[in-house]
Amino acid sequence: MIRLFVMIQKELLELVRSFKLIWVPLVFLLLGIMQPVSSYYMPVILKQAGNLPEGAVIDIPLPDASSVMAGTLPQFGTMGLLILALVFMGAVSSERNSGAASLILVKPVTIASFILSKWSAMLILAWGSLALGYAGAWYYTELLIGSVPTKQIVSSMLVYGLWISVVMSFTLMFSTVLRSPAGAAFSSLGLAALLSLLASLLPKQAGWSPGALGGFATMIAANAEFGTSAFGWSLISSLIVIAGTLIISVGVLRGSPAID
Amino acid sequence: MTVLLEAEGLTKTFGSFKAVTSMSFAIQESHCVALLGPNGAGKTTTIRMLAGLLAPTNGRIGFQGVREGGSHRERIGYLPQSPSFYNWMTGYEYTVYAGRLCGLATSEAKAAATKLLERVGLANAAGKKIGSYSGGMKQRLGLAQALIHRPKLLIMDEPVSALDPVGRRDVLSLLRELKQETTVLFSTHVLHDAEALCDDVIIIREGQIALQGGIAAIQYENRKPVIELTVDSDAHSQAWLAGMKARMRREGEASTSSPDSLAALIKHIEISANHARLQVSEVHAARQMLLEELTSEKIGLLDMKVGHSSLEDLFMKVVSE
Repeated sequence: MIRLFVMIQKELLELVRSFKLIWVPLVFLLLGIMQPVSSYYMPVILKQAGNLPEGAVIDIPLPDASSVMAGTLPQFGTMGLLILALVFMGAVSSERNSGAASLILVKPVTIASFILSKWSAMLILAWGSLALGYAGAWYYTELLIGSVPTKQIVSSMLVYGLWISVVMSFTLMFSTVLRSPAGAAFSSLGLAALLSLLASLLPKQAGWSPGALGGFATMIAANAEFGTSAFGWSLISSLIVIAGTLIISVGVLRGSPAID
Repeated sequence: MTVLLEAEGLTKTFGSFKAVTSMSFAIQESHCVALLGPNGAGKTTTIRMLAGLLAPTNGRIGFQGVREGGSHRERIGYLPQSPSFYNWMTGYEYTVYAGRLCGLATSEAKAAATKLLERVGLANAAGKKIGSYSGGMKQRLGLAQALIHRPKLLIMDEPVSALDPVGRRDVLSLLRELKQETTVLFSTHVLHDAEALCDDVIIIREGQIALQGGIAAIQYENRKPVIELTVDSDAHSQAWLAGMKARMRREGEASTSSPDSLAALIKHIEISANHARLQVSEVHAARQMLLEELTSEKIGLLDMKVGHSSLEDLFMKVVSE
């Protein structure tokens, strides 16, 4: 257990030294703030664009605060996930390819703690960035548009964080299975896109999958109605998927700790 | 004497390729053992199985004080052929990290790291990023991180083969010190290193043990008298030397009746440029006859040496059989 903490510490130190612990949250903050700010200033932006005929009247009703917050989440789902996947695409494979992993794994540490240390560092950065970005969005929404109940914010963030955790677990798994970091990023983002596409195209058949989490989080933020049984199942299936990816990663790494 | 590590019927196959086939050997406590073999003989595969990085297809590895099926990773230090670290860490940080992973408390790990880095000659570079280290420095850092938890057995894969002469000399003299304190196993294809450092050798060929035992005993048992000749580079001497092999074979076949001829005494001839190496059965008689022939043929002799076959001769013989 102590060794796991030592390894997590090392992962976090690496994130600090490579400045990832600084710039990734900043990008999320920017993504979060952009949504309320651009909603508020949309009429001004359109006017400044200057392509409108003389005397055109722009009258865009200000969206309500909840739907602005709901609009923020897909920002994290596209740009945010892309950045996180790129940051962590070589989490295991780069250490394995270079041989650094074999030097660690001959020490009396378990393969599970090696994988868990990577996973924990990924989740710490992902959740931290999401929380910071979402808090920024919330602050500017309150400031410019109107207030949103705390319960909506917190619960939608938790649900969306679970979705990001699922995608991070995919990245970790593919980075263990595949040798190429780019392949891992592409596969995990592809799988995430496929899951959310399935969940939105076939809500009946795939509405219980982790891919539906993004939609549920948006609906929670917007305070919309949705079926609770599918929601419950998607939470459960996400936890199962995360556990599965971790088990697969440990199994693959146990089979061959080093590649030459 | 106690056995520290014992391998029984160790086998590793990759698909249909047999990298290592039923290898059995024992490593005595506080001995220095070399795993010798040409490239591709299965040295690295064996080392990795011993280090616990590769699961053997078959066979078992027993370690002193570790129950059956238990892991002996706490008791070994491992240094791969070209170790790679985290380049963003400093040498000191990495050594402390290695110590923490081996179960040392932070303060213990820090004290041990400082001491070890000084010992391997990295005291001045301890605070620098590993990314800026040279090959020799990385190898020495590798030694420090492998020794941080005072392992019973230090396992190294080709510890010096990637180093320049200076780095090589440094690492070898470090190993000479270390073998006083702990049991050492390393693989190499450089015989000289094995001869200079080790008590025991395990010579492997095509994934199988060809010969194993104490170096002194092996050398004694297998030593054969050898005569080495170097001749002038004039045409006459060269022609004589070049024709020697064929001549001896011819005479050897013809002179079954006279067992005392030079040809009958010579077991093996190796000729290269103006140099010949003759393995003989009766050194005094052979030397006499050879000298007579050299005089009568008026050969320009430069150098003649009488001695015994070295470990290298044995190695060449064993691996090329």
